[in-house]
Amino acid sequence: MLLKDQVAIVTGGSRGIGKACVLALAAAGAKVAFVYKGSEDAAKALEAEIAAGGGVAKAVQGDVAEPATAERVVSGVLAEWGRVDILVNNAGVIRDGLFVRMDAADWHTVVNTNLNGTFSFCKAVSNQMVFKQRSGRIVNVSSVAAEHVNAGQTNYAASKGAVNAFTRALAVEFGSRNITVNAVAPGFIETDMSEAVRNKAGDIIKKMIPLKRLGKPDDIANVVLFLCSPAAAYVTGQLITVDGGLSLGATVA
Amino acid sequence: MTLDEIFNRVKPQLVDALGVDEDDVTMASRLQGDLNAESIDFLDIVFRLEREFGLKIDRNELFPESIFQGDPLFLQNGMLTAAGLDELRTKMPYADISKFEANPKFENIGDLFTVELIAKYIQSKLK
Repeated sequence: MLLKDQVAIVTGGSRGIGKACVLALAAAGAKVAFVYKGSEDAAKALEAEIAAGGGVAKAVQGDVAEPATAERVVSGVLAEWGRVDILVNNAGVIRDGLFVRMDAADWHTVVNTNLNGTFSFCKAVSNQMVFKQRSGRIVNVSSVAAEHVNAGQTNYAASKGAVNAFTRALAVEFGSRNITVNAVAPGFIETDMSEAVRNKAGDIIKKMIPLKRLGKPDDIANVVLFLCSPAAAYVTGQLITVDGGLSLGATVA
Repeated sequence: MTLDEIFNRVKPQLVDALGVDEDDVTMASRLQGDLNAESIDFLDIVFRLEREFGLKIDRNELFPESIFQGDPLFLQNGMLTAAGLDELRTKMPYADISKFEANPKFENIGDLFTVELIAKYIQSKLK
């Protein structure tokens, strides 16, 4: 077991990419606490699915946009499992709309969840990882939409671009403590978040992807698992794009 | 507690925080110049000393930051001013600044942060 006896926290863990990450980490032997906001049924089902397979997972309700959530989740994990080796900041939301029509609430909701939620969880694990363990893995789930921007996503692009910069800066500070900090940038993945766009433009998007298919949550989880594994010990401060080649921007003749 | 007794308890903390060999740590060792401490290591050292000695240590007291903010009152043309040296004496009464004040180049200020400085600071706190 690649991650035997390790403890992981995954935010936004009940659905989509987060769920795939929870399953991958648990299958690799980690004890996984995952945070969900509203999907209680999905969270409980995932908890049961992992337990049935002999793994250990615990669903914790919480909104990462609330500053107090991270501290509560992390202290609960430390009280129960005594350490935290892996943090996957995956919880994310979109509130798409053209900027002239975007109200402040749409901006703040996206920034509070995608960027400030990432900050809060990194902050909450930092004392434990930096001073007590002197080891750890942090993976922030970003998006290709930070670098390859779309109309209607000023808030989302800004939040993910900030996560990328934060990832690099934190990697520098944590390096001497054997803590790696990386980000993964998914392209078009088949999740609830991308459903509306997929329904509208799925076929056109597929044509733009050299690998000729949309991504699956597992495609992202595999890379997250790699970054959390001993094999990635020398990788830090990087943004790994996982998009089937979409961001190459090539015209496939 | 004597300085030597304190030193013997500080040494393992530095070995753990900085990943250096015990033999590398002497009273005269400079944290940055000799033991390669980075800024995050200073925080680490403070936490460890608090635990080891059961003290509450104000980080700004052990490693005073006022000097490092670039205030022109304290710092001009890369040199500490007379007011800057006074500030050092006030904030770090346990530091030996006699050598530094002869040529108070800011870039050499790290030389003040020695293991002996820590030991003297702890001793003053324990009194």
